[in-house]
Amino acid sequence: MILQTDTISLTLQGNRLLNDIALDVRPGEVLGLIGPNGAGKSTLLRIMAGLLRPETGRVLLDGQDLFTMPPEERGRHLAYLPQEAPAAIGMSVRDVAMLGRLPHRRTASAEQNETAVQQALDAVGMSAFADRSSARLSGGERARVLLARALAVQAPILLADEPVAALDPAQALTVMDLFGQYATQGQAVAVVLHDLALAARFCTRIAVLSQGRLVSIGTPAKVLTDALFAEVYGVAVRRCGEVAVPWSLVSSARRP
Amino acid sequence: MSRYTLTVAVLSALVLALAILSLAAGPAGIGVMQGLSDMLHGRETIAATIIGQIRLPRMILALLIGGTLGLSGAALQGLVRNPLADPGVLGISGCGALGAVLVFYTGLSAVWAPALPLAALSGAGLATLLLLALTRGGTLVLVLAGAALGSMSAALLALTLNLVPSPYASYEIMHWLMGSLSRASLHDVLIATPGLLIGSVLLFSTGRSLDALTLGEDVAQTMGFPLRAVQWRVVLGTALAVGSGVAVAGGIGFVGLVMPHLLRPLAGARPSRLLLPSALGGAALLLAADLFVRLPVSGAELQLGVVTSLIGTPVFFWQVWRLRGRPV
Repeated sequence: MILQTDTISLTLQGNRLLNDIALDVRPGEVLGLIGPNGAGKSTLLRIMAGLLRPETGRVLLDGQDLFTMPPEERGRHLAYLPQEAPAAIGMSVRDVAMLGRLPHRRTASAEQNETAVQQALDAVGMSAFADRSSARLSGGERARVLLARALAVQAPILLADEPVAALDPAQALTVMDLFGQYATQGQAVAVVLHDLALAARFCTRIAVLSQGRLVSIGTPAKVLTDALFAEVYGVAVRRCGEVAVPWSLVSSARRP
Repeated sequence: MSRYTLTVAVLSALVLALAILSLAAGPAGIGVMQGLSDMLHGRETIAATIIGQIRLPRMILALLIGGTLGLSGAALQGLVRNPLADPGVLGISGCGALGAVLVFYTGLSAVWAPALPLAALSGAGLATLLLLALTRGGTLVLVLAGAALGSMSAALLALTLNLVPSPYASYEIMHWLMGSLSRASLHDVLIATPGLLIGSVLLFSTGRSLDALTLGEDVAQTMGFPLRAVQWRVVLGTALAVGSGVAVAGGIGFVGLVMPHLLRPLAGARPSRLLLPSALGGAALLLAADLFVRLPVSGAELQLGVVTSLIGTPVFFWQVWRLRGRPV
């Protein structure tokens, strides 16, 4: 399935948050959404998930308008992993992951649901904790359980908002690798990232947002140029092989 | 047998036993089976009259009102994700009572009987709507809003009592405000049952939505459970159930707070799994409390609402104690 934003714009309380954004997420790819704080990445992702209606433009899922699709059907096609999750309420790890099967309650058998949940827990390495209460997990473990919930949907489109922000480097690599595997199975992944090194390494394509505009989109090698870092982030980078590491501010006056 | 199934089975048996006991208990030494059989065959015996006119309505109302109170507490707690949510604590019952008293006071209920339950459920519904509008403010705002609603309804009820022309009418209102089933009649059953049943159906239908909501509004919405849909069902369900209950039995508090709290360790943390056990537990609690007030301990019969409050407030304190020190 292809998720497409057809020149969407959004203004909230007089602020132009997004301006004519046209992009798509295709099967088999991990699309990274990057940009400075306040660039509109999370807002764009929320629109792509059907949580916010754009002011103008449409969001299309295989050509069909996302906002006219029945909610339950949309729930089977899209899995959304928000940046902040509510505090765990004491359900078992397996029960939390099983919530991902709610959109399938009328279409899947109990065995299918069990299998999907088991696969998701295996993928994030939480099978051993399946019966543990989610209230007694570390921050990283909780993030992985919530990811397992999103994976358990087995949706063709996975949208994740800064999924590695709270993770240590090892877990961040594991999670990004998981997205890569998910895409290899033919699914489409869009992920908001702040870590440019992870974006360069794991994303098939990268879309750069700045002040609500799509500045650049393409392969990491094509997009992540020194000129772009200077222009969009206001930082000069030092290159370590393919990877660019933010190194110094271009000019402190540029930054708000 | 899973722990959930066992919990439901034990609670069902308890409710059944208490319901039978409720029919059997009373000063008049009559046979329950004889009375029921006489009643069903249309024989106008004393046993049939006592069972049909006094004990059966009382049992049915205790069962249904207790059940819906437990259920609405569990649904409200799932919706606002807060263990302090309860129709009594949040002032929903109080506002329902205010609506009913106003109709009673103006004499409207004497002219048109359905006015009383309608006014009670309008009061309860408005209160629930106002609370929902404030839930985004978090736990502190919700509990404060509930306290404000409770105080407001209490003040306006006191004002009404103050202005009631005859002491007899004010005694009537007072008696009813304390919450009681001692004068439950078949007429009450007819007035309250539709709202209690429709409200229960609405509240039971929210189970999966409440489960989805544990992941937050955004994720629930992306899974096909828009927040508004579940909010409306909980508001309407609570208003119908609590309003109808208040209309015939007055304010009976804390059942919705106590039952989910007691049963969560047995039924698990999934909100959908808490609905049925809380309803059964609420029914059992109110049947038991209503049996207790019928015991000839002192000269005067205790009021049902007083007993449930005495049971409920320690649980309320315990919940607050557990929440201490947490950011609000």
